[in-house]
Amino acid sequence: MLRSTVFAFGFIVTAAPAAKAHDEQALANAPAGDPYVKVSDVLPLPEFIPGLGTLFVDPATLPAGPFLAYDRDGRLSATIYMTPFDDLQNGTSFDGLNIGSHTVSSTDIYYNAGHPGVDKPHVHVVLFHDENAKDRLAE
Amino acid sequence: MICTRRHAVWLGVCAVAFVAGSRSVLAQPTATVEMRGSPRGVRIWYDPVGLAVSPGTTVRFINRDPGNSHTATAYHPANYDRRQRIPTDADPWDSDFLLPDEHFEVTLTAPGVYDYYCLPHEMSAMVGRIVVGTPGDAGWEGSSNDKSDVSEEVLAALPLVQRILSEGTVSREDGS
Repeated sequence: MLRSTVFAFGFIVTAAPAAKAHDEQALANAPAGDPYVKVSDVLPLPEFIPGLGTLFVDPATLPAGPFLAYDRDGRLSATIYMTPFDDLQNGTSFDGLNIGSHTVSSTDIYYNAGHPGVDKPHVHVVLFHDENAKDRLAE
Repeated sequence: MICTRRHAVWLGVCAVAFVAGSRSVLAQPTATVEMRGSPRGVRIWYDPVGLAVSPGTTVRFINRDPGNSHTATAYHPANYDRRQRIPTDADPWDSDFLLPDEHFEVTLTAPGVYDYYCLPHEMSAMVGRIVVGTPGDAGWEGSSNDKSDVSEEVLAALPLVQRILSEGTVSREDGS
């Protein structure tokens, strides 16, 4: 029991800095502030991408992200990671990635053939932050 | 608005000029290639991927993919120092990135085979082939034999010239 308590305390102490790695409230609504930029401002992509919404990313974190996905009302709806196949195959790992919100209702993982910014065929890992998020990002 | 007689005459002249201009535009052969993608970007392609046209045809590339941008870029040293896969007498073209519903037009006059690709999607074999004229035309240049500058997937995605000539248009086998 004591060992469990110590372990739990240790986990909280360890996890706390990660939880404070960013201000969740600051990312809850678009526009996400510095160092994030709106993807459509820096890359030739639509401002609202059906299925992904309006994306913000810290350019220093490309290609993996996180990409913060906002619905048409500017509400943070998903955090998305984009990991190229050949990078993974060649041994690159993407560890300790940030997250837009610590509330995750579901996750979708699927193939993408590429787009400006992440040209290589890659995987989209989409963490939805509430149950209606997918519908709001769809159109 | 007051319409004077002089205005009426001027409008009539303009109308005649517009109709004449429209006829000349209509007389020029045109064709369309759409850039398409599945909803999640799993698949992306040109439709048709193979197209036969007569010399002087204006080809319009239009992006019908609501979630992505695409280019139509001729394989040519002028475009990112790529190996030439269009006729020697042809002018290379690069549409630059087209956002959804944007388009780009190019008029193809030199007879022969033109291969082109999508800049961000060549790795996914988004390529296309246009055949201008027929092998009997003066100055005809067939398809490039170079295999050093493109992947096996790209070569496999390009329809055979004979098939394009016999069918006129070629779409992907999976119907997309």
